[in-house]
Amino acid sequence: MYGRVNGVTVVGVRGHLVVVEAYIGRGLPSLTLTGLPGAAVQDARDRIRPAVENARLEWPLRRVVVNLSPGNLRKDGPGLDLPVAMGVLSASAQVRSAVLAGWVFAGELSLRGELVSTPGILSAAVAAARAGSRGIVVPSANAPEAALVEDLEVVGAPTLGDVVSFFRGAWTPSPPVDDRPSGDGRHEVDLSEVRGQAQARRALEIAAAGGHNVLLVGSPGAGKTMLARRLATILPTMSRPEALEVTQLHSVAGVLHGGLVRERPFRSPHHSVSAAALLGGGAGYLRPGEVSLAHHGVLFLDEFTEFRRDAVEGLRQPLEDGRVVVTRMAATATFPARFTLVAATNPCPCGFAGDPVRRCRCRDDRLQGYAAKLSGPLLDRVDIHLTVPRLTKRELLDEAHAESSSSVRQRVEEARGRQRRRYATLGPICNAQLPGPLVRRESRMSQEARSMLAAAVDRHGLTGRGFDRVLKVARTIADLAGIDRVMPEQVVEALAYRASTPATELERVG
Amino acid sequence: MSGEAEGPPWPTWPDGFVLTDEDRRALLVLSALRTITPRRLIDLAAERATAAAVLAHVRGGRAGSDGDRRFARSLDPNALAARAEASGARFVTWGSPEYPSQLEQIHDPPAALYVIGAPLPDVTRAVAIVGARRCTALGREQAADLGSALALAGVTVVSGAARGIDAAAHEGALSAGRATVGVLGCGVDVAYDPGGRDLLRRIGASGTIVSEFAPGTPPEPRNFPARNRIVAGLCRATVAVEGAAGSGSLITAEHALEFGREVFAVPGSVTSPLAHVPLQLIRDGAGMIRGSEDLLHDLGLELDAQAVREDLSDAEVRGLGALTGPTLPERVAATLGIGLPEAVAVLMELELRGFVRSVGGRYEATLKGAAASAR
Repeated sequence: MYGRVNGVTVVGVRGHLVVVEAYIGRGLPSLTLTGLPGAAVQDARDRIRPAVENARLEWPLRRVVVNLSPGNLRKDGPGLDLPVAMGVLSASAQVRSAVLAGWVFAGELSLRGELVSTPGILSAAVAAARAGSRGIVVPSANAPEAALVEDLEVVGAPTLGDVVSFFRGAWTPSPPVDDRPSGDGRHEVDLSEVRGQAQARRALEIAAAGGHNVLLVGSPGAGKTMLARRLATILPTMSRPEALEVTQLHSVAGVLHGGLVRERPFRSPHHSVSAAALLGGGAGYLRPGEVSLAHHGVLFLDEFTEFRRDAVEGLRQPLEDGRVVVTRMAATATFPARFTLVAATNPCPCGFAGDPVRRCRCRDDRLQGYAAKLSGPLLDRVDIHLTVPRLTKRELLDEAHAESSSSVRQRVEEARGRQRRRYATLGPICNAQLPGPLVRRESRMSQEARSMLAAAVDRHGLTGRGFDRVLKVARTIADLAGIDRVMPEQVVEALAYRASTPATELERVG
Repeated sequence: MSGEAEGPPWPTWPDGFVLTDEDRRALLVLSALRTITPRRLIDLAAERATAAAVLAHVRGGRAGSDGDRRFARSLDPNALAARAEASGARFVTWGSPEYPSQLEQIHDPPAALYVIGAPLPDVTRAVAIVGARRCTALGREQAADLGSALALAGVTVVSGAARGIDAAAHEGALSAGRATVGVLGCGVDVAYDPGGRDLLRRIGASGTIVSEFAPGTPPEPRNFPARNRIVAGLCRATVAVEGAAGSGSLITAEHALEFGREVFAVPGSVTSPLAHVPLQLIRDGAGMIRGSEDLLHDLGLELDAQAVREDLSDAEVRGLGALTGPTLPERVAATLGIGLPEAVAVLMELELRGFVRSVGGRYEATLKGAAASAR
């Protein structure tokens, strides 16, 4: 009375194959799970028997022991319901064990025996393919994502009964259908909808072309959120490997609907977000945070100064390394998190410093505290600082045409191509990711540009880091223009996006 | 009135108020008491004749609050003197040779001053520049321009060493390489804020820092009206640059009028809240000045150094010409018929040279820029 099937548990974004052994022996009817099951797996014990019975199958009225191996790996997540059920069905000879060989099972069961949508199925399918499995059985809702993995047969089943029927040769699954629009990434918004704000549009183009992070400073109603949302639409189209990474992360987080994610993600967590929700974590089962859901896309932090300090501090690692390492008592997981950060903030606590119409009413000490918040080490990693003016009605009506996202994206992709060729030996990086020591060498400055920048250092009191940031942005502007050597014009334009120190920001209060 | 041949029409210190060392020590203690204002102290002085007697009166509980009585009993004048000395301050009392004579002609003259640095200037060689702490960039430029012009004309700039207009006026004088006087609303060893500390250090290095408050006195709001009467009292003229309704600059200018000194004001737009004080003063008869040229002319002064002229390129002249008030860069691009990146570059070049400033995403000409494009 022994059965054995394959399941998958997901740690971080990586699936690990788990062998599920079931043994039916003498004793009072019971189900015991061994082999380091996590809380979510323990939870499944009481659910599996009703699911099996409601699928018109027999639950053995004897003592059932299920072992999950390897025993040193903590198994968590709901995806082990199906393999445990199949193991028991195999042990009780309701399914022939020979036909189960080479198959992997993943999915959560309902009490009625339905297979419900389960997070992390793409990771499970990747793990199954890596192990050379023949195929994977998943809930039909998750079949489109599993089908993204090549060389793997995918069976999307709506119920446990159908799974058993499939292996008895009595049921054939319909092929997985991806109901997402195919082809080029499609966004709901477009840059052409932005009225006015020519300089902001230009800054977004530079940010997209060089992968630079952006700080938007502006009064309420200036259009910061609208602009940030459209940055995702002008970033280069994602490659398939990139799209797969994003899909996998969204799958693990349980926010995936359908198949491949083709458009770059845009995430805008509220400023009350906890560090765990922003960076990843959670008790027991480790979930990717907002930074990872924004992988290859845009992370927008509106009201940046209001975010919790620990959450903001935690952003430094992903901004530096493009990944987060989450460590909990039980496990350590690494989630990719390479995103473009767009932070937005009011110019002062009341929001109207520098506004031509409304007057700022902040007290001096509050202004100083505010300026201090905007000068942390995190903002050292933000190359483009931009003040977004609140436009008057006339200025809005003045605006003639606005370019569409796709035509801007074309220039962005050309600029990225130049960077790829230039940094061929350094790996897949863009200007923003140039490591500090290389910036000055790789940015290829002309002599005139160099002296121009030296003058700016004197006038504006640029720090070493500020100097490098201007250099990187100037390099990107040159890439957009298709110029090999950075000329003074690009340096001067880049200076417009430099970080103003808190002191000068304060002085602008008028 | 007929009995008094001379002197101002308000009470002042009796002769012999500070004669002995004991009086000086008493005055050190009295300067640290909160409820004994200069006005109250003068009344007490008229009753008690000497500083030592006034202190005894306070310690005896017949004047001042209970807290001050206890405080006055516990204060050690030697410790206060040591603290003043540690910060490099001299204790200048009424009647001493260093006491500025122009303060003898104001009401509620301070009984004593803590002075750091050079001796205070003669009234004919001192002009005050006052204005809002929260000022506009233009106001700051105007104050700095006035400060440096006055300094170059050989006049000492006096102001309150606060942020905004005050700081700009001091900076203007310092940039001309001249000494300036900062009058504080707190102890001479206290700075309003970290930025202020650096300014105080530089003012004190060549010029003078003055306060009537004992070392360690925090900058409380109630100290500032008192501070303002000293600013006005030290100077032959007071210039108001920017000030919102009900601000301290109006008080300073009113003091100046009261003491029979001249008052000037730099006007602003009638809709600007910060133009309230200057416009009010002009309406009340203050001299209207458009800039340092007007001020020097009205004071009968001349620059003793040639103003440095800067030349602009054609593109820069056109760039400046495209700025009508705070202007969006795309407007500048449209006016000049060039692309936005090029327009941003022109504007940044102008900003680097100090002709243009950016304000909340728009660009406008600085004082220097406006003057340059007018030529």
